[in-house]
Amino acid sequence: MPSTFFGWVGFLLKQYGGLFLSGTLTTLLIALTGTFFGFIIGLLVAIVRTIEIPRGMGPVKRAIRKLAHMLIGVYIQVFRGTPMIVQAMVIYYGSMQYLGIDMERTMAAILIISINTGAYMAEIIRGGIISVDKGQFEAAHSIGMTHWQTMTTVVLPQAIRNILPSVGNELIVNIKDSSVLNVISVSELFFQAKSAAGTYYKYFEVFFIIAVIYLVLTVTVSRVLRFVEKKMDGPDNYVICGSQSDSRSEIVVSKEQEQEVDRQWQSK
Amino acid sequence: MAEQVIEIRGLHKAFGSHEVLKGIDFAANKGEVVCIIGSSGSGKSTLLRCINLLENPDKGKICYHGKDILTDETINMPQYHAKVGMVFQQFNLFGNMTVLENCMTGQMKVLKRSREESMENAMKYLRKVGMEAYVGAKPRQLSGGQKQRVAIARTLSMDPEVILFDEPTSALDPEMVGEVLSVMQNLAQEGMTMLVVTHEMGFARAVADKVVFMDQGVIAEEGTPDQVLGSPKHERLQSFLRSML
Ligand SMILES: Nc1ncnc2c1ncn2[C@@H]1O[C@H](COP(=O)(O)OP(=O)(O)OP(=O)(O)O)[C@@H](O)[C@H]1O
Ligand SMILES: [Mg+2]
Repeated sequence: MPSTFFGWVGFLLKQYGGLFLSGTLTTLLIALTGTFFGFIIGLLVAIVRTIEIPRGMGPVKRAIRKLAHMLIGVYIQVFRGTPMIVQAMVIYYGSMQYLGIDMERTMAAILIISINTGAYMAEIIRGGIISVDKGQFEAAHSIGMTHWQTMTTVVLPQAIRNILPSVGNELIVNIKDSSVLNVISVSELFFQAKSAAGTYYKYFEVFFIIAVIYLVLTVTVSRVLRFVEKKMDGPDNYVICGSQSDSRSEIVVSKEQEQEVDRQWQSK
Repeated sequence: MAEQVIEIRGLHKAFGSHEVLKGIDFAANKGEVVCIIGSSGSGKSTLLRCINLLENPDKGKICYHGKDILTDETINMPQYHAKVGMVFQQFNLFGNMTVLENCMTGQMKVLKRSREESMENAMKYLRKVGMEAYVGAKPRQLSGGQKQRVAIARTLSMDPEVILFDEPTSALDPEMVGEVLSVMQNLAQEGMTMLVVTHEMGFARAVADKVVFMDQGVIAEEGTPDQVLGSPKHERLQSFLRSML
C-alpha cells in the first residue's frame, strides 16, 4: 500500500483511471446534451413568448396563445424555483411509481438537465431577444419577413451572439451540477468517485483527483467558448473591392485605415 | 389623371388615450414625391408606420392601388411590404449581415428569388448608391451616410413601387446629409414614388411635387412646394417655417 498522498493519488489513478474516465465522459455527455436540449427548449419558449398578436387573430388562437403563455410561466417558475436534486427525485421516481416508466438512468439525467436548463435558457434568450434593437424587427418586418423569418435570420443570430457568455455559463454550471444526479445513481463523475473512495476509505485523495478533473473540464470549456465568440464576431478587417481606377484591386482595410478611406470616399 | 398608388381616408390612430392621428386624408400618385413636414410629435412617423403596418391603425382606410390593405383579404402581405419599402432614421441595417447580405436576404426570403438573381440585383442597387465597394463590410464598420445608402439599396433591392422615408438624414452628421439626399434626388428623377418625412426644406423645395404640413394629428395644409413653403396660409405653418430657418 502507498504511504504518501501522491503515492495514493498515483495508486488510485492506476486502479480507478478507467472508472474516472467513464465518469468524466458521462458527465460531459449529460452536461453537453442537457445544455443543448435546454437551449432548444429555451429558444422555442422564447420565440413563442415574443409572438405579438397579429391583426385578425381569432378568439380561438388568442385563447391558445394565452394558455401557452400561462403554461410557460408555470414551467419557468417551477423549475427555477426548486433544486435540481429534488426535481431529479420527483421526475425519476414519479415516472417509475406512477407512470410505470423505468427510465435508463443516463437518459433520465439528460432529460432532467434539459428541462431544468430550458427554464433558465428561456429567460436568458428572452433577455437576448429584448437586447436586440427594435429597429431590427421593424426593418425585417418592413421588407415583408414573417415573424419566423425575422427571428431566425435577423434577431436570433444577434441575440445568441449577445447571450453566448450566459449560455457558456449554463454549460459550466451543468458540468458541475450534474453531480447532484448521483442521487438517481447516474454513473457520472461524482457517483464513480463515491464508489471508488469507499473501497479504501481514501475520500480526500479521490475527491482531490475529481476536483482537478472538474476544473480541467470547466476551464477547457470556457476557453473553447471564448474562441467561438471571437469566431462569431468575424474579422475586424474587411475588403474593399473593385475601386474605380482598378477593378481587380482588393484592399484589406483595418479599423484604423477605415476612417481614412471614408474621407477619401467623401471627397470623390 | 395620374394613377393613385397610395390613398388614405379618415385614418385614426391613438396610443392609449393619446390620439396621434385624427383623421388623415391624402393620396400619392405614381411617380410623385410627397414631402411631409411638421413639428415634432405631430404624427408624421406614425403616419408612415401605419402605411407600413408597423402600427395598426384604429380606423380608416389605407388603399394600395384601390385595395384597402387593412381589410382586403386578397392582398399578399409580404408582397405588399416588398412593394412599399421603408427607410428609417436609424438605418436599421441587419447587424449580423454584411452589406451584400443585407440587400439579398429579403429578396431570397420574401420574394423567393435565387441566390444568383438576388446577388445580381443587390449589386445593381449597391452600385447605384455608390456602395458596391463595401459589399463585404459589416454595418458597424460604416459611417452613417454609408449605412443609409446601403439601407436605401436594401429597400430598392425589393423592387418597390413606393418608398417611405422617415427623416432619412436626421441621424447623420451634416457633412453626410448631401450624399444621401443626392441618392434620393436621383430616385425621384427616375420616377420613384416617394413619401418623405423631412426637415430638409431645401430638398422639399427642389424635389417635392407636393408638400404636406401635418399639425397635431391632421393635415393642416398641402400643395406645391411653392404654395406651402412660399406662401403659407396657416398661422402654425408660418411659425413652423420661421423656426426652421
Ligand atoms: N409606440 C408609442 N406609444 C405611445 N405613444 C407614441 C408611440 N409612438 C408615438 N407616440 C406618440 O405619438 C406622438 C406622435 O409621434 P410621431 O413619432 O408620429 O411624431 P413625429 O411627427 O414623427 O415627430 P418627430 O418629428 O419628433 O419624429 C408623439 O407624441 C409620441 O409621443
Ligand atoms: Mg418621427
